[in-house]
Amino acid sequence: MRAPSYWQASLRIFELSLGEMLWSRRTIFMALVVGSPVLLAGVIRAIEAAGIAGFRVESLRINGATIFGMLIWVLYLRFIVPVLGIFYGTALIADEIEDKTITYLFTRPIPRGAVLVGKYLAYLTCTILVVLPSVMLVYFLLVPIGSASLVSSFPSLVTDLGLLALGLAVYGSLFGFVGARLKRPVVFGLVFAFGWEQAALIFPGYLRRFTVAYYLQALVPHAMPEQSTLGAVQALFRDAPSGLVSLAWLALFWLGFLFLAARTVERREYVLEQ
Amino acid sequence: MTATAQPLVEATTLSKWYGQVIGLNDVTVSVPAGVTGLLGPNGAGKSTFMKLMTGQLKPSKGTIAVFGEPIWGHPHLFFRIGFCPEQDAFYESMTGLEWLTGLLRLNGLDEKSATTAAQHSLVTVDLVEAADKKIGSYSKGMRQRVKLAQAIAHDPALLILDEPLAGMDPIGRRKTIRLIKDWARAGKSVIVSSHILHEIEAMTSNILLIHNGRILAEGDVHQIRDLIDEHPHTVYIRAQHPRELARTFLEHDDVLSLKVESDAVVVQTARPDAFYSRLTDLAASSESGEIAEITSPDDNLQAVFQYLVK
Amino acid sequence: MPIHDQSYRRYRGGKEKPGAAWVVIATAGIVSTIRKRKFLGLLLFAWLPFFIRAVQIYIASSYPQASMLKPTAQTFRDFLGQQQMFVFFITIYAGAGLIANDKRANALQIYLAKPLGRAEYVGGKLAILACFLLLVTWVPGILLLFVEMAFSGSATFIKSNLTLIPSITVFSFLSVLLASFTMIALSSLSKSSRFVGIMYAAVTFFSDANFEALRHVLRTTSISWMSVPALLEQMGDVIFRQPPRYDTPWPISLLVILALVGVSALVLERKVRGVEVVT
Repeated sequence: MRAPSYWQASLRIFELSLGEMLWSRRTIFMALVVGSPVLLAGVIRAIEAAGIAGFRVESLRINGATIFGMLIWVLYLRFIVPVLGIFYGTALIADEIEDKTITYLFTRPIPRGAVLVGKYLAYLTCTILVVLPSVMLVYFLLVPIGSASLVSSFPSLVTDLGLLALGLAVYGSLFGFVGARLKRPVVFGLVFAFGWEQAALIFPGYLRRFTVAYYLQALVPHAMPEQSTLGAVQALFRDAPSGLVSLAWLALFWLGFLFLAARTVERREYVLEQ
Repeated sequence: MTATAQPLVEATTLSKWYGQVIGLNDVTVSVPAGVTGLLGPNGAGKSTFMKLMTGQLKPSKGTIAVFGEPIWGHPHLFFRIGFCPEQDAFYESMTGLEWLTGLLRLNGLDEKSATTAAQHSLVTVDLVEAADKKIGSYSKGMRQRVKLAQAIAHDPALLILDEPLAGMDPIGRRKTIRLIKDWARAGKSVIVSSHILHEIEAMTSNILLIHNGRILAEGDVHQIRDLIDEHPHTVYIRAQHPRELARTFLEHDDVLSLKVESDAVVVQTARPDAFYSRLTDLAASSESGEIAEITSPDDNLQAVFQYLVK
Repeated sequence: MPIHDQSYRRYRGGKEKPGAAWVVIATAGIVSTIRKRKFLGLLLFAWLPFFIRAVQIYIASSYPQASMLKPTAQTFRDFLGQQQMFVFFITIYAGAGLIANDKRANALQIYLAKPLGRAEYVGGKLAILACFLLLVTWVPGILLLFVEMAFSGSATFIKSNLTLIPSITVFSFLSVLLASFTMIALSSLSKSSRFVGIMYAAVTFFSDANFEALRHVLRTTSISWMSVPALLEQMGDVIFRQPPRYDTPWPISLLVILALVGVSALVLERKVRGVEVVT
């Protein structure tokens, strides 16, 4: 028998974990979360079709593409992507520790870091498989409203899909690291995603550069909704970096945190509770 | 005890503490090839020792080597090690076969060989019929057996089994004991833990006695048996006429002390074998009235541990 | 050598009357939670706004030039509004594991095999969380009133704002009721406290994110009932006699809060059982 390489070991952990992850209760929860924008889009479409109300802002009629852009901002980018990152990322190793099944993986002839990488790949596949179809459904439900052309806005859909996949990848690796490092990763994750990131974005200066949202938002092809106070303040101080700079930083965060997470798992001793 | 070949496991001044709690305290020991029983009461440090020898825990002090190499950070050693942990933890939604195949793939086997090896190990632990059922639906005994199957599936040279008989029915126990013995007969080694002396006795005569995080004794289990027998032994006898019974006991010099209660007599004896033999005769003859109950509060390892610690 | 009886001995001590067992659960829970240093730190941090407000009141009372800092009913409303952030984190920290950890350790069966009713068990668990939450809402709110009286040297403010004490009490208890019931119910649904924490956060943020999205599209706030934080904001404004910030009629907000508490109670009734029979 030959020891599987790091990559092979990761893939084998991926195979072992994907089914578990995909058919777990968590996925039901995740389906509910990502199903809600679809439901919302359906309701909006029904209202429009019934002619109950035309969607207007200051007497200007807004089209489906604008509503779609708003949902990408308000629901997907600010809520769904970070929540799924926290939800799954912090659980990559913590779940195995809590369930005490990590023993079976740590007593195999593979590097421990590969366990994290394999589970991370399963997370990414699982979330992308659920989130991206939901976005596409919302797109097909909303964009035709107000006779917007599906063809002309299709490139922005592709950007949205890539952006959300990137967001899932970066948040996943960040919270994967947090989950591998901390005993109570969820509290930290929530404070980071819904406290620090929101707060740092409203301050002028460099603080915002220490958030993932700052770089992700720079890639969004839709205008930022400014109705809420927080949104307005964030828009006021918004100085988006260029797409290339954002991509470079996001890639750095992604690979950096994934490396740190794998290294932590490699070196850290996990004591199972009796 | 002297090891002729390289020891399987070698611990040198090995200590492990969890915060302020000591799990293992300054242990220096060599485990030879063959079957070795790790015997000790609950909380003695058996599981900590096993986790250290399987590289799940890092020593707080000292070193531990398996097959001559430190186990922490050397996963390649797991080609030669199979570990059956104590905890009842599984991927509940997987079938036994899927789970074993998945784990075997981590040992470097391709899909086909992994499936074959998984099936083979399920045959060994007598779980073929449940191979395609979800582990979540397994009984306690079946769960123990599938856990054992994952440890033996890759045919390791050293099996480390943490309380493998816990939760098994008598037939399951007998089969597992036979499996362990067959494993040793095939020239491989086993380290098995238990807190029950006769379980260990059934598997091996070579034991390590562990208590309060320290190795108290190592060697032949019969020597430990002798210690139990030599150690003053307390017997509680509930009888119809305890005073008459006490008078009969006093005629023999192996009785060290006697205490008569309203419906019972408590005896301390230096030679339990002789005493029990006489007691059986007495009970059969009913000479001193009816004997309702015989118990020995210290007919267990605890008494030996206390004796050895003194 | 005397031999002591090692066999089972029946308890011969006194027994509490039925119905008081929840106190045992609550006391044990409070003591074990408060022993955690990080939690203690969080509690202390949650009192920071109180001290800031106290300084504000002190300056306003001591320096006539700083009269714009004088407290009003709005000040107390805002203070309790800010405390909601701490309510959120304390609810997750102290509440997520309350039943989930017992389920994980199979302790529920042991608890319920004692002379302890399910209602007492749930009551005890609720009391643990409610106690900590009131400690960062009602207690500092009422104390702030006394601080105002102490610094101004008169009871004029309290006399002219007599409704403040009931307002602080009603709003604090309403928010604590909602947070504790929903968290305890979620905790009874899982064996993982982490999962529970995330579920609670998701319900909170998710309901709000949906409200925000619909609000943008429909240009109305009359759907604020679908957001958990907005429900409390709306009720807070009404209780403190401030102009409500959303178009939703307050009885609807109150009804939704009561419905959430009711659903949580129903979940608890179904899930807190010694043995779960799956049919």
